[in-house]
Amino acid sequence: MSSRRRRAPGGVTYDDVTGTLRERTLTALRDPGLAANLRSAGTAWAEQREVMDRDYGFNEMRDRARDIRRANIRALPALLTQLQHRVRENGGTVVRAADAAEACRYIVGLARARGVGMVAKSKSMATEEIKLNDALEDAGLEVVETDLGEWILQLAHEHPTHIIAPAIHLNKEEVAALFRAESNGDVPDDREGLVAHARMRLREKFAQAEMGISGVNLAVAATGTVCIVENEGNIRLVTSQPRIHVAVMGMERVVADWDEAAHILQVLPMAAIGYDAANYVNLISGPRREGEADGPEEFHLVIVDGGRGALRGSEFEEALSCIRCGACLYSCPMWRNVGGQTYGSPYSGPIGAVITPLLEGPSSPGSRDLPFMSSVCGACGDACPVGIPLQDLLVKARARSRSPATTKAGWAFRLWSLLWRRGLTYRLTIVGWRLGLRIRGRGGWVHRLPGPGRAWTSVRDLPSRWPPRR
Amino acid sequence: MSALADQMAASLGRRKATWEMADPDGAGRAGARWMADAGVVRAVLADDPLVERVGLAAALRAVGIDVLWWPVALGRREILGLEGPGDVCGVTVPALAVAERGTLVLEASPGHGRGIDVTSRHHVALLPADRIVGTLGEALARTYAAGRPTPSAVSLVSGPSRSSDIEKISTLGAHGSLTEHVVIIR
Repeated sequence: MSSRRRRAPGGVTYDDVTGTLRERTLTALRDPGLAANLRSAGTAWAEQREVMDRDYGFNEMRDRARDIRRANIRALPALLTQLQHRVRENGGTVVRAADAAEACRYIVGLARARGVGMVAKSKSMATEEIKLNDALEDAGLEVVETDLGEWILQLAHEHPTHIIAPAIHLNKEEVAALFRAESNGDVPDDREGLVAHARMRLREKFAQAEMGISGVNLAVAATGTVCIVENEGNIRLVTSQPRIHVAVMGMERVVADWDEAAHILQVLPMAAIGYDAANYVNLISGPRREGEADGPEEFHLVIVDGGRGALRGSEFEEALSCIRCGACLYSCPMWRNVGGQTYGSPYSGPIGAVITPLLEGPSSPGSRDLPFMSSVCGACGDACPVGIPLQDLLVKARARSRSPATTKAGWAFRLWSLLWRRGLTYRLTIVGWRLGLRIRGRGGWVHRLPGPGRAWTSVRDLPSRWPPRR
Repeated sequence: MSALADQMAASLGRRKATWEMADPDGAGRAGARWMADAGVVRAVLADDPLVERVGLAAALRAVGIDVLWWPVALGRREILGLEGPGDVCGVTVPALAVAERGTLVLEASPGHGRGIDVTSRHHVALLPADRIVGTLGEALARTYAAGRPTPSAVSLVSGPSRSSDIEKISTLGAHGSLTEHVVIIR
């Protein structure tokens, strides 16, 4: 099986993305199928969220979720130390990795040392971020994504478009074609048949894999337990069938105790898919014990910093509260029109636009424009189950961005700011604008502005007086 | 007690699981009947005293279903259903259940494998009604109570396996069991 395409060394973003962010946005906007898929997904999500609030008072549950996560991030060093101790007491191994390279090196080294030939993976944003698949494949290992959506993408050599629902942009005919190519045989056309086909093909992989690699939704410091949430059952197979289980987590995904975990584990599926429970939640506290007949013989927990630690105490600290539910993606009018692949990062949507440049640095060409992928309408902040003020963080991320788009026009913004800081010059610019619009307007509307205003009027008109004429 | 059992049953319905209530001496026969109707040819039973107490193994043999006890002496391919009969049913005994969500709490132990329910095509759970609690918070507080040894693995199971990865439409039987039937024992 060939690998998913490659990413820039050291960066979070994919390096096979073509064109500028603007060009990718325009391409996505011209794809009518994509827009229809994304919008229906967004609408279905919004309807289910209403149901959650009506039946469970979801909006009140969010307040507690926010408080829990804020406190977790404040206490992060102590919680991680406790987690580490408990996992070791449970018979597991814990590795703290400062960056992607360190995490990959450890996992590849472990696979080599144990003579692993095939790795069964479940969906994990952290492993996408550290480009683990590339590292494993470079070392000659076969890596199989076992989440149905991720497997489809692996066969299509594409990147995921959504944190929770990776392949929502492909229809069943496209999926059937991919399965046919993979198995060189007959594949049913209906959805049930396709799911059953994938189930048996992937069981062949589960029968062979010596190592299972999963992500972590939440780790509980009090007992040294990792919680992994899913609907399909592949994560249970990944974490129970192979001889070795490696769980990879971002360092911020830890809660103190089971009281907190119970709350977050309920909030997560409600926020993510608008249901009151995921089908399977796997709570793993180390390898199999004496006398147990299944479960891995070895359990390794890799805790990745990757730039997160530096965010504590910064103006972006709240971004660490994120539980990766994907709600801000569905809520975002930008994302709902262009989809996740446009962002060029495993983390798309508002949270991706904030954290990708934070993890990569403000000058990274792959992500410095991402904070501008927003109308700052605030829908993301409203949707966030842990109360991250995403719209504020987007604005702060813009200020921090070293994008040519902003630095080149810096003088214009400085002039603007200078003029609008005084009442007189502010009023003068307003009067000037009004006059200009009147002169340029035809029938109450300005159809085309010169200079930097041209792009703005290329798809819309501006009223030359207020209120505008109908 | 029966209020929680009723709430559990209603929640299981929402989760696309099926259920029935049975007396202790009828629970084994009820489970065997359901499996026979589902076309099950082999059952993998958790080695829990409750399974014997409700007479499940005898009831299964009476309807011609092959009985294996956990841990099974089978290769990984056969456990995963790639060899041998496909219509296998895993039988679990939840440590607890959550009425509000229809969730089963399965604890790994020498008699109860981590994968019994997901490796099989069908899943039957034998749930004593007095193990049903109201909320997930209560269930986790009991499971991980201070002083109690932490189980190596706990699985929260809320309905049969499904995936919405093809066209966002929920389809059952992705990787885990295609069905889930809970016998609530009064």
